[in-house]
Amino acid sequence: MEEIAVRFDHVSMEFPGVLANDDISLSIRKGEVFALVGENGAGKSTLMHLLYGMHTPTNGEIWVKGERLTEYSPKAAIQRGIGMVHQHFMLVPSFSVAQNVVMSKEPRKFKLFYDWKAAEEKTRALSQEYGLSVDPSAIVGELSVGLQQRVEILKALYRGAELLILDEPTAVLTPQETTELFSVIRRVVREKGMTVILITHKLYEVKAISDRVGIMRKGRLIAVKDTASVTERELASLMVGRPVLYEELERSGQPGEIRLAAKDLTVYDNRGLTAVKKLSLSLRAGEILGIAAIEGNGQSELLEALTGLRSCASGSIGICGQQAANCTPGEIRAMGLAHIPEDRLATGVSKDASVAENLLVGRHKAPEFRGALGYQKQSSIARYAEGLFEKFDIRGAGIAVSAGSLSGGNLQKVVVARECSFDTPVLIISQPTRGVDVGAIEFIHKQIMDKRNEGTAILLCSADLDEVFRLSDRIITLYEGEITGEFTPNTIEKEELGYYMTGNRRKEAGAHEAITH
Amino acid sequence: MKRSHINTPYLLSLSLSILCALIIGALILLVAGFNPIEAYGAIVEGAFGNGRHIGDFLEYAMVLCLCGLACVLAARVGIFNVGGEGQLILGAIVACQVGVWMKGQASWLVLLCAAIAAMAVGGIYAFLPGILKVKVKVNEVITTIMLNTVAVCLCQYLAKGPWKNPNKNMVAATDKLDAEYWLSSLIPGSKLSTAIFTAIILTLLVWYVMTKTSGGYEMKLTGQNPRFAFFSGIKTDRLILLCMVISGAMCGLVGMFRVYGAEHIYKSSISNDYYFEGLMIAMIAAYEPLPVVGLSVFFAILKIGADELQYIGIPSQIYQIIQAVVIFSMAAQSGILSWLKDRGQKKQARLAAQVRGGGKDA
Repeated sequence: MEEIAVRFDHVSMEFPGVLANDDISLSIRKGEVFALVGENGAGKSTLMHLLYGMHTPTNGEIWVKGERLTEYSPKAAIQRGIGMVHQHFMLVPSFSVAQNVVMSKEPRKFKLFYDWKAAEEKTRALSQEYGLSVDPSAIVGELSVGLQQRVEILKALYRGAELLILDEPTAVLTPQETTELFSVIRRVVREKGMTVILITHKLYEVKAISDRVGIMRKGRLIAVKDTASVTERELASLMVGRPVLYEELERSGQPGEIRLAAKDLTVYDNRGLTAVKKLSLSLRAGEILGIAAIEGNGQSELLEALTGLRSCASGSIGICGQQAANCTPGEIRAMGLAHIPEDRLATGVSKDASVAENLLVGRHKAPEFRGALGYQKQSSIARYAEGLFEKFDIRGAGIAVSAGSLSGGNLQKVVVARECSFDTPVLIISQPTRGVDVGAIEFIHKQIMDKRNEGTAILLCSADLDEVFRLSDRIITLYEGEITGEFTPNTIEKEELGYYMTGNRRKEAGAHEAITH
Repeated sequence: MKRSHINTPYLLSLSLSILCALIIGALILLVAGFNPIEAYGAIVEGAFGNGRHIGDFLEYAMVLCLCGLACVLAARVGIFNVGGEGQLILGAIVACQVGVWMKGQASWLVLLCAAIAAMAVGGIYAFLPGILKVKVKVNEVITTIMLNTVAVCLCQYLAKGPWKNPNKNMVAATDKLDAEYWLSSLIPGSKLSTAIFTAIILTLLVWYVMTKTSGGYEMKLTGQNPRFAFFSGIKTDRLILLCMVISGAMCGLVGMFRVYGAEHIYKSSISNDYYFEGLMIAMIAAYEPLPVVGLSVFFAILKIGADELQYIGIPSQIYQIIQAVVIFSMAAQSGILSWLKDRGQKKQARLAAQVRGGGKDA
């Protein structure tokens, strides 16, 4: 008989107005990779937060290694060998990798002083042992998201985790990084006997990595299956509660005039290094230009420069014929640009403001929402916000609650709803479906495609290559701030694109053929 | 509807902590051998006992309230104006000197010029740390604290040097204002003047702008997440600077009110760290305008009423103790609140588990 690592016994969790977990009973075996899938707000994260001691269940019990949990706190969970990598990382950006990893269990010199040398040594040893290479002395805030995730995993391992909870770990990773992560997971499970619980939206990942899969819907555990016995399509139907078909999105219309043009654009990153090198691109009305690049190759800086969040060192940007380089986001928006930013929490919303206030911003000076003396017409604002809330199928406790109380995917819908509602000639989209569930992805893709068909010029950047392929009319690959090639999705395979994303240029096509054939 | 929804638990915990502070104050009084009921009676008597006292505590409440609101205005956009004290005394001395220089002019003109001068000086004095913060990210807390010291020294120099009162040799003071420029006293013998009407209008205006207008909405977003506000097209730098300058101008105006309404002369006791008390109130009020008004009145009653304590032989420092305890319990209130909630939740969970154990659920 297999050993049971964790057992949930009729666990329920109720937040004010929401039953996040409804009578869940589930056993997770030691040494397995268990995938937990479900739509946004299905209660996957909540269930794992209970296990990690971040909330106390309103009902039911949790048993870890045969012992009932009596105290729910992350500290107790860590002591029982549970480690969690959160969807939004819990790292101190100004600390080094080693400092983050050893935090709360710092090696000491003379029992008193922080021993940074030992900390770096231990971090290095750990990263080599598990094949998670990262520089222990690097500052976390300057690392790419993929590397930050490694730091999170190392942190859990350092604290002696035997059971690792990964909350949507691949949402921020490139295909290559995902492959690496999976090989790490396989290794720790096989060699160290660890148990891994993986929360995810991506069903092919479930198939690729997990032994068993639990499907959650609206707070309930709908089914637990052996991964080998189900297909992706069956999983999707179970998750959403209806059959899901990835239909070909309808395209119509022809590309029109140039709406966005960048010429010889050079942009520096936060450390003052060149992130974008003399880059030129143009974007036409009614087309989607996809940017495929591995995290940290200048795509973030490029989009920030185009949208006014970052200054340009040299070069020019034209938006609808107006000069836009080094203008403020406000001025650029006035030229006719809307922007779905890559990091919704830092840039896309104010967590403390209400959902309605988040949906309104940018339109708050329109006469229908602002009366005499700057008075805000609350009733028409509420009507407008309710409308968007409905139209974009945002799920949460209404428009008056703080945006921070929504789940990640629903927060993303708030951002998408707001930016799409501007009906601007140019739309810049970054990571539109990061951490968003299957049903919502479908919905957001449809919205983007509708915008394209209406004649909006769309620049799309996504770490999800499938998404880039599905939506784009043209794709450019970016490597170290330079364009390495331009393609149309039907003339190139995904794997081939990865080749250009790692620094090979199109003009070296001969060499490329020699490798791939 | 939405507002009251957010504020109810806050107001509850505020009242609780004030109650708690009064009880602790009573215990201290008991231990020291005084009758707490008598003492609290004396405080109320001291604040409401006669017209003069009522006037004094209302004037004090007005000063605290305006100072608190000045702090709230800046804090809303995420800039912490600790320099209000300096802005206040500079406003006071300049307003006073304007009155001295313009001797013989019509009183409405003098009052107008004094108010404008006081607001301009306070505003400019706040503009300096504001522009440093916005342009080169210099921490405004440090610059404003430093500028307080500069302002104190500058006023000392002016009141002892060029603007010195020839009749007062020992103390630092300017010339006394002509009685025709004094703001009319509302209660004879007290410090309460017509300034309070301006203060009420200002308070309403600040409340209206902050809670009802699109400008207040932009301020709130800027304070909550400046990057998001900037991304959304709000001119955050300009807004931060503007709020800082208005905050400074308000402090300057308080200085003018102190001179023209209450003291009629500039001397170094024109402000006794009043701004810091207002700032503390703003913090306790969680930067919400309405609680600032209520707390200002409360602290003013305590402060003015505490003078009466001396007459029945109780040291008036008891006021400071109660004030300290209120701050303490307010600081702890959010922690206490969540602790209580957590406990309730656990209790509920245990109860539910017992029900389940009882065989309700198979």
